[in-house]
Amino acid sequence: MEIEKLKEELKALNKEYAKIKTIPVEERKAFGVEMNKKKQAILDKIKAAEEAAEDANVEPLDITAPAGFNAPIPEFKQGSKHPLMTELDHVVDIYQAMGFNVMEPRQLDDEFHMFDSLNFSKGHPARDGYDTFRTSEGFIPIAHTSAMQNRALTTYKDRLEKGGQIAIVIPGRVFRNEDVDPTHEHTFYQCEGVYVAEKANMGELLGIFKNFFETYYGQSLKIKTQPGYFPFTEPSFELLVEKPKSLGGKGDGWLELLGCGMIHPNVLKAAGIDPEKYKGFAWGGGIDRLVMMKYMLNDVRYFESGKLDFLEEF
Amino acid sequence: MLVSLNEIKKLVQIPSGVSTDELVKLIGSRLVEVEGTIDLSKKYKGIKIVSVVSCEAIPETHLHLCQIDAGTGSNVQVVCGAPNVREGMLAVWLQPGCIVPQTYGGENFELGVRKMRGFESNGMLAGLDEIDLGDDHSGIVEIDPKFAKAGDDFAEKFELNDIILDIENKSLTHRPDTFGLIGFAREVAGILGVKFEEPVVKFGNLDVTTTLSADQLGGSTSDVEKVAIEVSDSELCPRYSAGVFEVSSAKLGSALEGNDYLTLGDVFLAKAGMKKISKIVDATNITMLLTGQPLHAFDYDKFVKVGGVKEPKIVVRAAKKGEKLKLLDGKEIELTESDIVICSNETPVALAGAMGGESTEIDENTKKVILESATFSLYNERKMQMAHGIFSEAITRFTKGQPVAGTIPALARCAAMLLEKPEDIADFEDKNSLSNRENVVILTTVEINELLGTEYTVPEITETLENVGFVVKADGEKLEVTAPAWRTDIHIKEDVIEEVGRLRGYDNIPLNLPLRPFIGADKNPMFELKRELRSILADRLNANEVLTYSFVSKDLQEKVGEDVAESYEIVNSISPELQVFRQSITPSLIDKMYENIRAGHKDFALFEFNQVTNKKLGLTDEKVPEIENHLAMISTEDFYFAKAMLMQMGKRLHVEFKLEENNVAEFPYFEKVRSAKVTLGGETIGVVGEIKGRVLRNFKVKKAAGFELNLDEIVKAPRNITADLKLSKFPFVERDLTLKVSSEMEYAKLEEAIIRNLNETENFVYKVTPVSIYQGEDNGTKNISFHISFSSTEKTLEAGEISGIMKEIEKSTTEIGAETV
Repeated sequence: MEIEKLKEELKALNKEYAKIKTIPVEERKAFGVEMNKKKQAILDKIKAAEEAAEDANVEPLDITAPAGFNAPIPEFKQGSKHPLMTELDHVVDIYQAMGFNVMEPRQLDDEFHMFDSLNFSKGHPARDGYDTFRTSEGFIPIAHTSAMQNRALTTYKDRLEKGGQIAIVIPGRVFRNEDVDPTHEHTFYQCEGVYVAEKANMGELLGIFKNFFETYYGQSLKIKTQPGYFPFTEPSFELLVEKPKSLGGKGDGWLELLGCGMIHPNVLKAAGIDPEKYKGFAWGGGIDRLVMMKYMLNDVRYFESGKLDFLEEF
Repeated sequence: MLVSLNEIKKLVQIPSGVSTDELVKLIGSRLVEVEGTIDLSKKYKGIKIVSVVSCEAIPETHLHLCQIDAGTGSNVQVVCGAPNVREGMLAVWLQPGCIVPQTYGGENFELGVRKMRGFESNGMLAGLDEIDLGDDHSGIVEIDPKFAKAGDDFAEKFELNDIILDIENKSLTHRPDTFGLIGFAREVAGILGVKFEEPVVKFGNLDVTTTLSADQLGGSTSDVEKVAIEVSDSELCPRYSAGVFEVSSAKLGSALEGNDYLTLGDVFLAKAGMKKISKIVDATNITMLLTGQPLHAFDYDKFVKVGGVKEPKIVVRAAKKGEKLKLLDGKEIELTESDIVICSNETPVALAGAMGGESTEIDENTKKVILESATFSLYNERKMQMAHGIFSEAITRFTKGQPVAGTIPALARCAAMLLEKPEDIADFEDKNSLSNRENVVILTTVEINELLGTEYTVPEITETLENVGFVVKADGEKLEVTAPAWRTDIHIKEDVIEEVGRLRGYDNIPLNLPLRPFIGADKNPMFELKRELRSILADRLNANEVLTYSFVSKDLQEKVGEDVAESYEIVNSISPELQVFRQSITPSLIDKMYENIRAGHKDFALFEFNQVTNKKLGLTDEKVPEIENHLAMISTEDFYFAKAMLMQMGKRLHVEFKLEENNVAEFPYFEKVRSAKVTLGGETIGVVGEIKGRVLRNFKVKKAAGFELNLDEIVKAPRNITADLKLSKFPFVERDLTLKVSSEMEYAKLEEAIIRNLNETENFVYKVTPVSIYQGEDNGTKNISFHISFSSTEKTLEAGEISGIMKEIEKSTTEIGAETV
């Protein structure tokens, strides 16, 4: 209705405009400007009225409904990556950015790589702590990623001879003969790190950890140590990191995250590296716990459950 | 391991500025992980020592109505059911408001005032179990009136205002010395920067020190026949020391005499988690808890009798196969050749370090006792622990490798608890194969500081080491470090460096970062390939990544037709479900399908990357099993879905997977005629297709298709990145074409006939997309429809050119027997 009226007004205005021929030449310009202004004003009003009419005609919908009338419900099938693998990638990315190469362990290995090359003397009770599985042939589904240390050292030792360093991380799956419950799995993931150079010291080891966890959790963090015992490192200790804000930390709690130490001379020797000339450090930590803390998971068994209801959350 | 802080404080002067909290923190950061602390003062709060003033039996019950004096001046009434309650005794009273210690930290049962059989009872008189200092429930605890009086605070009197540290002893595996309170306290002194004063115990005129030697102990050999010690293999038993004493010399009525009264010794044992048994056994246990050196007591006369000799002949040897031994707990065990046994002459009478035998057990008739203090091979002890499932306090210590220097001081300490003077030891023998050789390590302060990243000075290092018993001779920067006899773990420079770093605190080491050239890290091709494929499969192809166990059941392998004999078998598997290392991943994935379908998931695709192996793959140069890195995918769809996913994956990777007739022996669970061998660059890399119906029935799954590929080939394959990609800016011509062909006609042949013409035309870009493959009622033929679009990169195609191309296509398809519909 309003539009009709405006259109009438426009018609009237156009008629008025036609009078331009009847007025003195010197006044025509001012008249034209004035008329155009009026015309534009009407056109603007028409446009606004038309848009308002159009808007009023748009059919409203129920924003809480999953679909409109008679329409299929939109569905996007989502693939997912396993959270342990995503985390392992994330951890490796940080180490790679620091300059560490990546080597994956072999899941089935032997006594030499699992124990002997790591300065566990034959029959030493320290071997018991690893609750290893064994095959009838005596092979061992590895109980720690350290089983790759000897290969990492042997593979990269020529770098030392050229004045460089060995810097490797070893992410992978390990196995322990343990009964399964919400906090224990017989199959889990670790990431190992090995660094050897002409000069390597514990201050650097601590520096790398602080740096790593600060990058990992995206905030500055305190670290502390507690003594540990591993035959393959001397000195050995365990590393604790302040509970980060993202996990609800308030600057008081600690997370026990790594076992580490300076590589024992016998481990270097077993790889043909002169321990008088080169020093190194190594560390290892579990990935499962990092993921459980991150997503507040209360059952480690979810990881290997194969349940889509779990996987689709990631 | 449970460690009492009070006992530590008796041995070390804790600097006044160090609070208990700080001390626990320091122990945690510089000695061993403290898993928890238990504040006993809270547990024993409010408990009183009281005297029973009167005690009258309540008729027709087993109860007594007692009036007790708690030192407050007025008596309190308590009803007591214990048979040993009597007038005049000193007892332990849990007054109203007290938590029963046995329930502390659990249900926290709080006592009140209540009526029993009509009589008001205020709290209770407690038994040993109720105050959580033992399991005895036969009566109430009685206290020696010479030791305490009515009204005394129980916790204060019995040193229970204490903090118990719960120690995770795994990290002390190499430190047998710390398994005794003295050794633990020495370390505490070390981390506090305090010089440890080695404790000295008076034994007659003898000072029993931590380094007492056999010569110093001496002993008389007067009226008792001599003990002979024979060690068959000094590796098994580096040192065996034994003393003999008469029960009468210990001023005991019987060898089983314990204490009627609760003593500090009982509490000492209880705080370490041990039970009181008898005065003699308690003395051996207390000595062990103090020194870390376990001891054992034999009945002398029984020992001699079993051996069939006049004088005791102690023989330490490896057990012989088939030998049997009845242990103190009444169990008869079959011995193995790695067991070490203590024999009387020829007959085994004890499982060395683990448990004594029944035949030489001390009883009320025992007149003489042989006290053993020995060291055994930790390797054998470990095997014995595993073989016989014995996890006593003693064997826990023996598996750490006790220092030979510890047997004599422990023997003397124990004797000092039972006897008045060394001369009361009727006989004493010592067989030591190892000299008390000193471990000397020579190193420089530069080496210490370079490994730690510190700047410690000679005096700082010297003091730190000497606080815990090392002897340091410094010559400029050069240090000659002699380890004390109890430190069997010090052999190399790094061992000494660890001591310096640890005792001074790793947390005091300044942090820095290694300097290295500015070069990038290598990429690991396999790791990167998996990462890339994971993204393709999850993010682009909407599949879900799973992880399943590397161990599977033989049953699973049989169900899918794998040859179980080729699997590496786990000999100590947790369950039959986890018995063999898997040969391929797909069976585990099929296994996960049913559960997901039952959970309501309809269309899904699962994938997993992992390592697999089987014996047929053989061994590597290192003589370890060859391992393959596999990728497996399983879906609820058919062959064509799996194939499409595979091809999409190939496209994204820029590699060309080819399919051929499936003649692969591996992966027997694929349906031969509904699956294909996958090749890449001529190498077989796996199979794609549908799973056999026969197999699926075992898993209650109706339909499944997927693929399993060996990534080791894919990682080697060159990537053919399209280099001369042609794009057209001219409009595309769109045509639909439906061809009727014989049912046997291969799709690829038809497609090739269409594409050939488009390929041969210069400056052409084109797409040929299949639209449908239709079979009507006539089984002999099928209709295949294509959507064809093409364009020239040079110009807009004219009508004549277009119809020309379409005619060529029709011609070449007709040639192979297709009819345009």
